[in-house]
Amino acid sequence: MRKVFTLTLLLILILTISAQANEINIGSCIYRFNDAFMLRFRNAMTEQSDKLGAKITMADGQDDQTTQDAQIDEFISNGVNVLIVNPVDRMASQAIIDKAKAANIPVVFINREPTPEMLASYEKAYYVGAKAEESGTQSGELIATYFKTHPEADKNHDGKLQFILLKGQNGHQDMILRSKYSVEAIKNAGIEPVEIASAIANWDKLQAMNIMNAFAMSIGPENIEAVIANNDEMALGAVEALKANDYNKGDKDLYIPVVGVDANASALEAMDKGEMLGTVLNDSDNQGAAAVKLAVALANGSDINSTGYEITDGKYIWIPYQKVTRGENK
Amino acid sequence: MAENKSKRLFTIAGLVILALGIVLYFAKAPLGLNRKIYDLPIFLIIIGVCFALKGFMAKPVVNELNKVSFGEFLTNNAILLAMLVLVVVICILQPRFMQIRVALDILTQSSTKLIMALGICFTLLIAGTDLSAGRMVGLAAVVSASMMQTATYANRFFPDLPQVQVWLPIVIAIVACMIFGALNGFLVAKYDMHPFIATLAVQVIIYGACSLYFDMPPNNSQPIGGIRADFAQLGQMRLFSGAFKGFPGISILIPIAIVICIVIWFILNKTVFGKNVYAIGGNREAAVVAGINVFRNIMGIFILASCLYGIAGVLEAARTAGATNNYGNGYELDAIAACVVGGVSLNGGIGKVGGIIMGVLIFTIIQYGLQFINVSPMWQQVIKGVIIAVAVAIDLTKYRRK
Repeated sequence: MRKVFTLTLLLILILTISAQANEINIGSCIYRFNDAFMLRFRNAMTEQSDKLGAKITMADGQDDQTTQDAQIDEFISNGVNVLIVNPVDRMASQAIIDKAKAANIPVVFINREPTPEMLASYEKAYYVGAKAEESGTQSGELIATYFKTHPEADKNHDGKLQFILLKGQNGHQDMILRSKYSVEAIKNAGIEPVEIASAIANWDKLQAMNIMNAFAMSIGPENIEAVIANNDEMALGAVEALKANDYNKGDKDLYIPVVGVDANASALEAMDKGEMLGTVLNDSDNQGAAAVKLAVALANGSDINSTGYEITDGKYIWIPYQKVTRGENK
Repeated sequence: MAENKSKRLFTIAGLVILALGIVLYFAKAPLGLNRKIYDLPIFLIIIGVCFALKGFMAKPVVNELNKVSFGEFLTNNAILLAMLVLVVVICILQPRFMQIRVALDILTQSSTKLIMALGICFTLLIAGTDLSAGRMVGLAAVVSASMMQTATYANRFFPDLPQVQVWLPIVIAIVACMIFGALNGFLVAKYDMHPFIATLAVQVIIYGACSLYFDMPPNNSQPIGGIRADFAQLGQMRLFSGAFKGFPGISILIPIAIVICIVIWFILNKTVFGKNVYAIGGNREAAVVAGINVFRNIMGIFILASCLYGIAGVLEAARTAGATNNYGNGYELDAIAACVVGGVSLNGGIGKVGGIIMGVLIFTIIQYGLQFINVSPMWQQVIKGVIIAVAVAIDLTKYRRK
């Protein structure tokens, strides 16, 4: 009796192992589940995996690199075929690459980009994402176009653009690049940008609202010609603060163009109401799909150029951003 | 005779400031100072009247022992004086600070913080603490906002929810907080757990529960937006706006906070429950011997406190016309710090509503002022920490002296 039991158990074990061997197992580490952008990203990845018949398991890094490192170890010991990693701290990616390299598992980074040196240290390390500077460039272009087509936007008639910059979490790559390139784009459009104030609002609506309120008081909304926010939540916080100061409520003379990045539902609604000028869409659906397609190709050992996406420098898939405006600004 | 001297000093100083204010009020337009001193004259008039009244109404000091030397006066009020110096510096650096609308804005931002602080002061009065306060704000914000979206919004939390009455989600949100408040109270009262640990545990539970709620499909952790105008009005409405030229109006949050202040003052000073709170905080054993039902009172304290956090959370959601589960993160520490600066003792039994109002105002003015002149947020943190340390140090020396 006992022998039969042991044998059956062994048989089941072998069967499951062989079944696993046939199926592609993707282990995906997300920096934090509770993030609207990563959520859309995750949904896109799940959808694509289902389409390709791969199994994807996701782990919530809870915004803590130590937690994420442990999750990567767990995935590797569980025998995943490929890793998709959204690092908590992009500068800590080397340790992740080393782990993947030691286990000879391909790794695809998403959303937060490791340095080129890190990616170069392992032939099976890739990155799928958007060029962060592009989001900055496009939001700057939105403002520049508005400024050119609306002469009244130059409130003090000096030909320069006096703007306020609301920045994301300090040290975040998106925050650095978006801040830099949005201003650069205005310059490239032939307008001289003048930063009257800037502040870190940690991607947060509430903080942005309080900060913008203080700016509206200290600088005076009549002296602000544009608000550039690193993301939509902060842009919406600025909009709420401006509304509290009777700006952006429909009166043409009391309007400050506000731009963000992300194109979330609240931002689209604010744009429909004319409270917000525009936003830039980070195409998470496309990125999620590309990451999974690349991961599956890597796990199968098939040609990565067959995914339908252009591979740049043998390491990168770049998904372009898209400008979003509504109503008359379209 | 000294008390008469100080009385006279206050009255005279008040009248001088008042006179200066009136003179400046009429002189500022002809002298072209409108854009240099803004509403300073009106502030001077208000300050002058307050000083003069204080001098006039001050009770004569009977007990000689209560007399304080000038040096002691300085140390006892160091934080307040530091704030005044800061305000003067800010006014010089950025004269726009001297506007009525800035003062009103500071009061508006103080309102929700004050409601939080009044809640947390109950738990401090029994020598406890409440670390779950901030997360309760987040819970109330998310719960109320989730049911208050416009029918046309693209990304509704409950796609099929009819347009419910405004009060309903508010009550649900506050009751949700009170359930967790009851859990706090139960853990502390029944198992004699230290409130630090009990509320820490509940804090984590609330955040988890709130995140689960927030992550429910179809919302899936997206920031809640598309808030109905009638709900947003609760936090954004302005009373008497445009009553005279350029008057921005008084945010509805200010009268709400004042009403809550009065209610809490009444509860603390005029009810048996309030007396019990002080008694339990002052000496728990004595309170038990005196026949006070400690279990019931502690439950009451935590439930009442959570009710106030719930109100604060609903108001935050209305004010920002949105919510995420990260709302209120760290608020409890700000509220505790404001209470401590306002003279609430962490050893329990000591603390007044007036002091808490002062503490919250001092904190908000400093924070707002630093933001106003665009001081780096890192420096703001450093300064905030120093204020807390100095405030507690002064407080403790005061008691030691006694």
